Amino acid sequence: METLNALLTGFDVALKPLNLLWGFIGVTLGTAVGVLPGVGPALTVAMLLPLTVKLDPTGALIMFAGIYYGAMFGGSTTTILLNTPGESASIATALEGNRMAKAGRAGPALATSAIGSFVAGSIATVLLTVLAPLVVDVALKFGPAEYFALMVFAFTTVAAVLGESTVRGLTSLCLGLLLGLVGIDSQTGAPRFAFGVPELLDGIDVVVLAVGLFAVGEALYVAAYQSRLTGTLERLSGSLMMSKEDWKRSWPAWLRGTAFGFPFGSIPAGGAEIPTFLSYSTEKKLAKDPAAFGHGAIEGVAGPEAANNAAATGTLVPLLTLGIPTSATAAILLGAFQNYGIQPGPLLFQSQSELVWGLIASLYIGNVMLLVLNLPLIGIWVKVLRIPRDRLYAGILVFATLGAYSLHQSWVDLLTLYVFGLLGFAMRRWGIPVAPAVIGLILGPLAETQFRRALSISQGDASVFFTHPIAASFLALTALLIVAPWVVRRLRRASA
Amino acid sequence: MASRRSPAEIALSAGVLVLGLATAAATLMLPGEGGYAKIGPNFMPGVVAAGLVACGLWLLYEVVGGGWRARPSDDPAERGDHAFHAPGFFWVSAGLGAHLVLIGFAGFVVAGACLFAGVARGFGSARVARDLALGAVISLAVFLFFVRFLNVNLPAGWLAPLLGSAGI
Repeated sequence: METLNALLTGFDVALKPLNLLWGFIGVTLGTAVGVLPGVGPALTVAMLLPLTVKLDPTGALIMFAGIYYGAMFGGSTTTILLNTPGESASIATALEGNRMAKAGRAGPALATSAIGSFVAGSIATVLLTVLAPLVVDVALKFGPAEYFALMVFAFTTVAAVLGESTVRGLTSLCLGLLLGLVGIDSQTGAPRFAFGVPELLDGIDVVVLAVGLFAVGEALYVAAYQSRLTGTLERLSGSLMMSKEDWKRSWPAWLRGTAFGFPFGSIPAGGAEIPTFLSYSTEKKLAKDPAAFGHGAIEGVAGPEAANNAAATGTLVPLLTLGIPTSATAAILLGAFQNYGIQPGPLLFQSQSELVWGLIASLYIGNVMLLVLNLPLIGIWVKVLRIPRDRLYAGILVFATLGAYSLHQSWVDLLTLYVFGLLGFAMRRWGIPVAPAVIGLILGPLAETQFRRALSISQGDASVFFTHPIAASFLALTALLIVAPWVVRRLRRASA
Repeated sequence: MASRRSPAEIALSAGVLVLGLATAAATLMLPGEGGYAKIGPNFMPGVVAAGLVACGLWLLYEVVGGGWRARPSDDPAERGDHAFHAPGFFWVSAGLGAHLVLIGFAGFVVAGACLFAGVARGFGSARVARDLALGAVISLAVFLFFVRFLNVNLPAGWLAPLLGSAGI
């Protein structure tokens, strides 16, 4: 009941004309960047951060959230028509969606992914509404030791467990943590790793890191390795309507996809890849005609797309209730909150309840807007896909440098941007994931604060992390996650 | 998949190790007093330095053992790419470099036009004049929008007489 009242207040906020407008701008921008290859939601929010500091936080955050899940909708259009998955979570969709398009069924493929995204997004938002207050109740009992243990757990899953290589994930994380240390120590005021450069005393801004890795690094990589590749854009012919048969095959897949996506998004283990692949393989197993998979089976589009969207909404649970980001975009959203001097976490639901519930209410509204934007107006987005790549990347970099430059009006930030671009290029070329670095930069300083606070309370006694049951369980779980794969491999080798 | 001890892997692994050692050295110069917590501003840097050193050693160990595990292929075709195209990399970098140098005195619009043309060139466009013009138009639109509506400070530079008080 209390939740319902809070949500209704949230709708009051979200339905204000100005906030509706910000939401609309957000989902439209989000769809556009989802459609455009080379631009993702993390990059877009990062570019906009320095430009929106003077806006009202509620409106700006509603816009950013719109960009985040709008990109999930838009991404499927590109995947289906161009067969270039914009993000790893769309790979499963590419398998079947592009085959459907090649077979002249692009319309139903786009429809099932848009409606599936809508269904999954809406169900996931309901789950978020119900779950968030419960998590907040638990989180309010957390002290610094618990928070620190939880952050270590999040670091480990994001860096070590989800990627292809544990050591490369950890390297990326350490790099992010190192960059997070640059600047003035928040507890004592001592400068660290600034080497007397005034721009470094402020710390490395997440905007420069994210834009450098995602925009400059990506542009360098594509110019060097992919500028002469040409994709074939499938034609959007025929009707968008799904047949009765399509509906019958789609809706169970949507629901199952949601069931996979939301939990994976909401536990601090992030990542939308695992649930999309789980959904894909489940649909393949359950299908009456598994042979159709690989030749354009509609379930193979419906399930993963739903899983993808549900996971995106799910990541808002740890972000809003605990202040823990589990994806690169969530980390930058956290940076957006911090830009306005707001720290997400359980207290947010009390101190900024209008903002947080307005944001949640805006998700319901945004989902409806996105359904309209992505079905009747799909033709516009197909045109966006025809922007020539040379001018597209040139335009992206004009905006990317704008965001970085407007931080301090200093060329130093532009130089740092290029250095991070080179780093992003190398990381992409040699398979080092970038998300852990971004998460490390944002979450590292928070983890350090909690760690030192916990030790201050215990007067320097490190046993707090092992005697508090919740903290100890998170740390034990973390150790298990690192050691288990190694032990399993050893055992398998021993038995073979 | 014969033994492939790639120079890039060795360089990157060693780079991580050296970065870790450099961090450790810089950490030694940080103050250590910590009040109640008994740890100071140098504690976390020490942990991160140790982490980087450990990662560097681990990466080198993988190189010695036959190369990094499950990393992208060295054959561009296997990654779905074409061979390294140096002019692409160069022109994108040149565009960014020109922008960095120009923005301070020539202003946002001029720098933006050069950046746009450089990047477009890197992606294979041969029409420099058109790209410069297009870049100038886009940068001007961006400039006017952000300066007038969002109060973002951007340098007008050479175009200051034309743009009036819009910029700084």
